[in-house]
Amino acid sequence: MRDAPYATELKPYGRALLALAETRPDILCITGDLTRQCEIDLFQDKLPGRFIHAGMAEANMMSMAGALARRGYIPFVHTFGVFATRRPYDQIVNTIAYPNLPVRIVGFMPGVSTPGGPSHQAIDDVAIMRAIPGMTIVDAADAQEIADIVPQIVDVPGPVYLRLKRGEVPVMFDEGHRFSLTRAEVIRDGGDVAILTSGMMLASAVQAADALTEAGISVSLVHVPVIKPLDRETLIRVIGRAKAVVAVENHTTIGGLGSAVAELIADEGLGVRLARVGLADTYAEGSLNAPHLFQKYSLSSQDVTDAAWRVAERAGIAAGGSVPKVRAVPVQAGEYAPV
Amino acid sequence: MSDTAAPERGRNDLPAGTGRDPARFADAIRLHALRMVAPQGFGYLGQALSCAELVATLYTSAYRPEIDDVVCSPGHYILAFYAAEAEVGRLDPALLDTYGKNDSDLEAIGTERSPGVDLTGGSLGMGLSGAIGFALANRLSGTQGFTYALISDGELQEGQIWEAALFAGHNKLNRLVVLLDANNSQVDGPVDTITTLEPIADKWRAFGWAAHDIDGHDPEAIDRALKAALQSELPTILIGRTSTRTGLACLPADADGHFIKLPEELTRLATEELESRLA
Repeated sequence: MRDAPYATELKPYGRALLALAETRPDILCITGDLTRQCEIDLFQDKLPGRFIHAGMAEANMMSMAGALARRGYIPFVHTFGVFATRRPYDQIVNTIAYPNLPVRIVGFMPGVSTPGGPSHQAIDDVAIMRAIPGMTIVDAADAQEIADIVPQIVDVPGPVYLRLKRGEVPVMFDEGHRFSLTRAEVIRDGGDVAILTSGMMLASAVQAADALTEAGISVSLVHVPVIKPLDRETLIRVIGRAKAVVAVENHTTIGGLGSAVAELIADEGLGVRLARVGLADTYAEGSLNAPHLFQKYSLSSQDVTDAAWRVAERAGIAAGGSVPKVRAVPVQAGEYAPV
Repeated sequence: MSDTAAPERGRNDLPAGTGRDPARFADAIRLHALRMVAPQGFGYLGQALSCAELVATLYTSAYRPEIDDVVCSPGHYILAFYAAEAEVGRLDPALLDTYGKNDSDLEAIGTERSPGVDLTGGSLGMGLSGAIGFALANRLSGTQGFTYALISDGELQEGQIWEAALFAGHNKLNRLVVLLDANNSQVDGPVDTITTLEPIADKWRAFGWAAHDIDGHDPEAIDRALKAALQSELPTILIGRTSTRTGLACLPADADGHFIKLPEELTRLATEELESRLA
């Protein structure tokens, strides 16, 4: 894994989908009036015969995609995460998920990554999609991973919800990094504190893990891009030898990764204290920029560190003293570092 | 796409109910529906009564099961399709006796598992979008089939219907044919006491559709509209004006068309009425 600040790429998803579609004539690309924003202008330019404008009509878009899937096509449906999940939920359940159809629902702008306010901030998308039987949920962290996710999800038998950052996407993993649908990725294999995360919060979790390690705490860090189905085996192994666990997500703390981890801990009787970092059962708000919201709603790297330190103290493993400070990472234009 | 190529020569291109009299076919649907619903003492008989001629004429005049797709958008109507499929020998009539019972393949509200149609569902207003998906798939793959979708007037209250109507009109999906059962019945009462849908035909025309406003119990009018749809350059809707009491004179005037109660005596009278007409 590379070090922050990270270089960024534009349109890693759009390029990956086009490359795959050029070899797979069964792929269709459907847009809900957000073509450039969802990086699929590349597809529209090159493969217009398989590009469908559904317009701002998400209910029709989802049910139509379900029927196209019944006819052997693999529709990739694109809009922002809020509109991909809340608005057509009944259509997804009844016309895609219950029939177990291979529709790929791609929702951009997770959590507070947009300053556009609660109407545009997908803070509950993972929770509501996780409640759907048979839904696969992928929360991507970086451009290398995205390039591998697209070819790996195309043949999943049932529906997939893919959650993607919009705009500049950091390059965190090394070239040739492989994404796994079945294996969470153990990035640091420590012991006492286990930090579990996915998507945009991976960068913050790395910063926090570094600060905690320097303060003498043994930290495991696990990237869990596939929130459903959860890689229970890896998580049980890592959590099983931890004294405290921190789940970190760019999402409400209700129903997402933190809840999935809490369920796992309870199901398996792992009996370990859990701190959930995320939006604390609250909406965010409109603002000038997203970093302000990550600060304001306790989603910064320092917030992750603080939460880990507090839960470690309660578990009797923090060494005492003050919370370690996260290293400041100055960024140039075109680079990315977490707040 | 090779897996969805045009139909091979030799596929049966005759309508499923070719040679059958649509009026008698409609009564056969009514009798099957009555027998399916009667053991429960209540059920979706009114839906079968109102759509009987629409479905019967679709089967006798147009729908070719090996080539076309059929969608039953309101899953509550599925018993009419179970009945029609049994009539044309595509569904074991003995299965009709299991309708709505525990562990039956014939659930009372159509679902993913329902035989006899290409798509149905119990959450209303979604079937037209599915029909559009089929029509679009046919266009993309160069397949020749038509897509027929039964929808109900109550469903016109769902926004998704109009999203779908816009899409089909804009994309000129001219191999898409909707049969609208305008029976003016929904759970809370007559549709027109709850929302004003009229002018229905003008609404669809304004969305880019060819609309035929017809008596939905008149097989000849339905047949003419279905024939016209084959030549249309626009998606077509047949607005069939119907009633949930048509075809059973014995039903009381105040019968709740959405969910008809069938005490034993009424069941006996209704069975006799239909059997004597079919004799």
